[in-house]
This record gives sequence, structure tokens and C-alpha cells, in this order.
Amino acid sequence: MAERAARWLIVAALLALPWLLPMILPPHQAQFWTANVFGRAIVFGIIALSLTFLATYGGFISLAQMMIAGTAGYTVAIFVDGAVPAIVGGLSYAAAVPLGLAAATLMGLLVGAIAVRTRDIYLLMITLALAMGVFRFVETNIAWFNGYEGIRNVVGPRLFGYDFRNAYVFYYAALAVAGLLYGGVLYLVRTPFGLVLQGIRDNARRVAALGYSVALHRILAFGVAGFIAGAGGVLATIYNIGISPGSIGLGATVNILIMSVIGGLGHPIGAFIGALIFVVFDTFAADLYDRDRFNTLIGLVFLAIVLVSPDGMVGVGARLRRLLGVRHAAA
Amino acid sequence: MSTPALRLSSVSRRFGALQAVRDVTFDVAPGERRAVIGPNGAGKTTLFNTICGDFPPSSGRIELFGLDITRARPHQRTRLGIGRTYQTSLLFNGLTVEQNLFVAVRGVQPHRWSVLRSGRDDPALAKARALAERVQLAPLLSERVLNLSHGQRRQLEIGMALAGDPKVLMLDEPAAGLSAGERPGLLAMLRTLPRSVTLILIEHDMDIALPASDIVTVMKDGEVVVEAAPDRIEDDPTVQAIYLGTGH
Ligand SMILES: Nc1ncnc2c1ncn2[C@@H]1O[C@H](COP(=O)(O)OP(=O)(O)OP(=O)(O)O)[C@@H](O)[C@H]1O
Ligand SMILES: [Mg+2]
Repeated sequence: MAERAARWLIVAALLALPWLLPMILPPHQAQFWTANVFGRAIVFGIIALSLTFLATYGGFISLAQMMIAGTAGYTVAIFVDGAVPAIVGGLSYAAAVPLGLAAATLMGLLVGAIAVRTRDIYLLMITLALAMGVFRFVETNIAWFNGYEGIRNVVGPRLFGYDFRNAYVFYYAALAVAGLLYGGVLYLVRTPFGLVLQGIRDNARRVAALGYSVALHRILAFGVAGFIAGAGGVLATIYNIGISPGSIGLGATVNILIMSVIGGLGHPIGAFIGALIFVVFDTFAADLYDRDRFNTLIGLVFLAIVLVSPDGMVGVGARLRRLLGVRHAAA
Repeated sequence: MSTPALRLSSVSRRFGALQAVRDVTFDVAPGERRAVIGPNGAGKTTLFNTICGDFPPSSGRIELFGLDITRARPHQRTRLGIGRTYQTSLLFNGLTVEQNLFVAVRGVQPHRWSVLRSGRDDPALAKARALAERVQLAPLLSERVLNLSHGQRRQLEIGMALAGDPKVLMLDEPAAGLSAGERPGLLAMLRTLPRSVTLILIEHDMDIALPASDIVTVMKDGEVVVEAAPDRIEDDPTVQAIYLGTGH
């Protein structure tokens, strides 16, 4: 009950935030926070959600999620009108975005199928290998992906007459997408499909003995995660006004994992909490120090969280609540 | 004579050089209660695994109501009417008691697939609750399995095995780890099983194995060494030799 209230409070706060920011911060700061901190955190959070969904409910840690997000981003960039250089072009956003989501879902299914018999560290390695394989291919292929330069000028659609480039429009669109996907995940895990997925996490042998196909469920779960990552990838590409191989490289791949672990793999909300923490550090530490220092800093944060609370900030929250609850009961 | 519920003909299973089950042959009549006893490592669980399809026998033949299931997949056997529990519970720790049973019930249904949440009127849900009632877990429906006691986990194991309305129920040491106080409850529950269910029971506890069974199969070193009525078992010289001889 309290958890539900807390969740609504978070959503309400997020909805109110950009409007309230001008009152708290100087007006020129509000736009910066909306775009560079909250907007970016939500986009990363969606991609991290695809990882957290698999980890929380299936027990699978996939390092391919950033690459899958990139699959959607590249598909949009390749097919949408106005991108530079024009690779295929000709499609509106209304057609290119669903195509991107379909491509990411297919890529998710493919990764799921290839990795279907592996678990734990082997699953981690095989998804990483797939991600790096795609990265190298994209980086060296000029005809389809314009090599290491990538594709620019993916500006996003006009939404109900508003320009997607407007920080607030983007922010609310991303927030709506995040809310839908997050709600969708919470719904899905209560369906028979989601329950069987959790059964596989807890005891795959029993699931098989009960008559379910473990392999099919796993592959479909990766497909669902592919769709989620794809939505994040489309938003990220529009946010960055384009996509280049760097956005699906090793660094980006590891960042998604770091966010997920910081937030906590025990609950999907951890993806967004972790992304927000990461982005805040990324934005401000990178201003103060140089890049390498930032990597050291986020590495230390990562280490501290893993040591103090293996289930991330979500776990810290739960622990605090328990502690307060105990105090309360004792008082 | 009617078709046996289960017919084992020269069933053997080896693991490399180890002959875990050797040339086991017996029939189980419909409605029969059969206990399988024997010292540790006798091959009882391995025999169960070949019957349930975890792995096929190395040689021999297994029939369920006259149907050859020697090579059938585990879930096919589940749908054909075999239900089993495991020596160490295989449960879904992160799910509730109700969800565990619900997943088990849906597993044997033709429409297992759904990405829509089940309504309150889902018959599978009603059945999951009825099963919880049957294994005395009704008050714990929304408790996560993680938080159950060992005895409650064993009860849930049996509930999951009953989910497919098995015609042959196979229990692998259901009393393992139960306290003395919990054992009579288990025996009582076994006795409420209708005779339409054939029961095969591996059990070390003679106070459960003997009163629960019509006939007892004693295994040692993978072989069946004695088959006798429960009231004759304790006086049987071979059984005495096995249990006293191994210092059990
Ligand atoms: N999967 C396996 N691979 C290799 N050896 C196995 C396997 N399963 C069982 N065994 C071996 O087969 C023999 C019979 O084991 P099994 O588990 O069937 O005995 P059991 O009668 O059930 O004993 P317990 O009363 O201890 O449960 C043992 O020596 C065991 O080590
Ligand atoms: Mg055993």
C-alpha cells in the first residue's frame, strides 16, 4: 500500500518537476535540467528497464540491450526522411518508428534464441560478444551505417503541432513512453506468461516438468525486452539528433549495466533510479573533472553500492523502510 | 486382469560405470498404494526419474495404462497422468503459494499461453485454491514460498503434483525433513487420496511407508530384492539383513 503511494508520488513529482524547476532554479537552468538530466535519465532508464526486466523476472543478465536499442535507432535513422546521409529514407516518423521497434524486437528474439541454452556468466559473455560483433560491423560498414561517423539529423517528428526538439515536449513524450512500458512490465509479470518466466528464474527444471517450453518462454522474454530497449533506442536517437557506433560501443553497454545495478536488479523501478543517479553524476562530475575522473567516480559509486546493498538503491530503500518500521514498532 | 496403471519391464539405468537401476520389473495395479523402500543409493529416485522422463532408461520398457511411454518427454507424461514430487522440493521461491499452484494447473491445460492477466473467475485459479485447501495451505495462499516452513514446502510439493489430476501419483520421500508432529498429518492426507489415484511412494519412514501402502518393494543396489505386503516386511530376513547389515 505504502509502496503504491510512493510510486504515485514519484510519478506526480516527475510530472510536476519541469514546471516547478523555473521557480526553484533560474529559468535558463530549468530547460537544462529538463533536457540534460531528467529527459536523458528517462531515456537511459527505458533501456535499463529492458535489462532489469530480464534480470528481475527471468534471472537473465543481458549485455546486448544497448546494442538492441541501437538496432531501433539505426533502423529509424536509415529509413526516416531527412536523415544525413540519406541511406534509404522516404519514410515518415509514423512509419519509421514502428519499423525500428519491430527491428529491435526481432533482434531481441534473435539474441534470445542464440543465448537460449546459456546462463549466468556464459549468458553475459555471449550477449556481450553479440553486442560487440554488431558494434564492429556497424562501425566498419559505410553503405548501410555510414561507418564510424554514423547518421545525423534525426530530429524527431512534430507531435500535435509541437516540435519534438522542444525540451519539455521531449521530456513528457519520453515520460509517457516510460510510464507505459513500466506499467506494461508490471502487468505482464502478473500474467501466466510472466509467472512462468519467474518460474524459470526460480526453477527451470520444474517449469519444464510442468509442461511449459522453457526455451520458448526465454526467447519471448528477450523479445519483450528487445521491444522495450527499442523504444529507448528510438528516443535516444532523437535526443542525440542521430546515432553513431559509439552509442552502442562497450562503454555505452557497460553504462546500462552500471545504471541497472546502481538502481537495483530486484525491481524494475531500479532502472530509472539508477539512470537518474548515473546521469546526475555524469552531468556534474564530468563538468568538474575530466572524463577519466568521472569513470573512476562512477566506478567507486558502483563498488560502494554493490558492497553495501547488492540489490542497489531499491534495496537501500527497502532496508531503510524495514529499519524505520522496526523503530516504529518498537516505539 | 485389467491393464496395470504402470508396468515396468526390465528397466535399467546406468551412469557411466554405475548401474543405478538394474533390471527392475513390476506392475502397479490401478488404485494400488505401493511403497518403494531401500537404503540410500539403492536407485529409488533414479527409478522415479526414468518413470517420469527426466531421463530415459538405458534399457527396458515403461507402460502407463498400456501405453508405451519409455521415450516420452516429461511434460507429455505429466499430461498423460503422472504427477510427481521431488526429494528436494523444486518450487518457485519468488512466487506465492497460489501462483505456484496456478502455474502448475495451467501447465496441463491446452491453453497454457496467455499474456493477459487471469480474471477472478479463471477456473485455473479456482483449482489452485482448491489444491491449496487440499494440502492445508489455504491460509497461506498469498504468502511467498520463500517464507514457508520446510513442512509447508513439502505440502506444496504435493499440491503441485496433484495439479494435473494425476492418475499415478509418485512421491519421493514426502516425509523427508518433517518433524514428528507433522508426520501424522501427512499420513492422514495420503489416506484421503481417492482410489482413482494410484500411489507410488518412496519413503524411509516405516511409520508412514507401511501404513500407507498395500505392497512394498524393497530395492538395494539398483535391484528389487523383496516384494511383500507391509505387515510382512519387518519380519522379512532379507529386509532385516539390509537394514541391520548396513547399520541403518
Ligand atoms: N544424475 C546422476 N548422475 C550420476 N549418478 C547418479 C545420478 N543420479 C543418481 N546417481 C547415482 O545413482 C545411485 C542411485 O541413486 P538414487 O538417487 O537413485 O538413490 P536413492 O535410492 O534415491 O537414494 P536416497 O535414499 O539417498 O535418496 C547413486 O549411487 C547415485 O550417486
Ligand atoms: Mg532418492
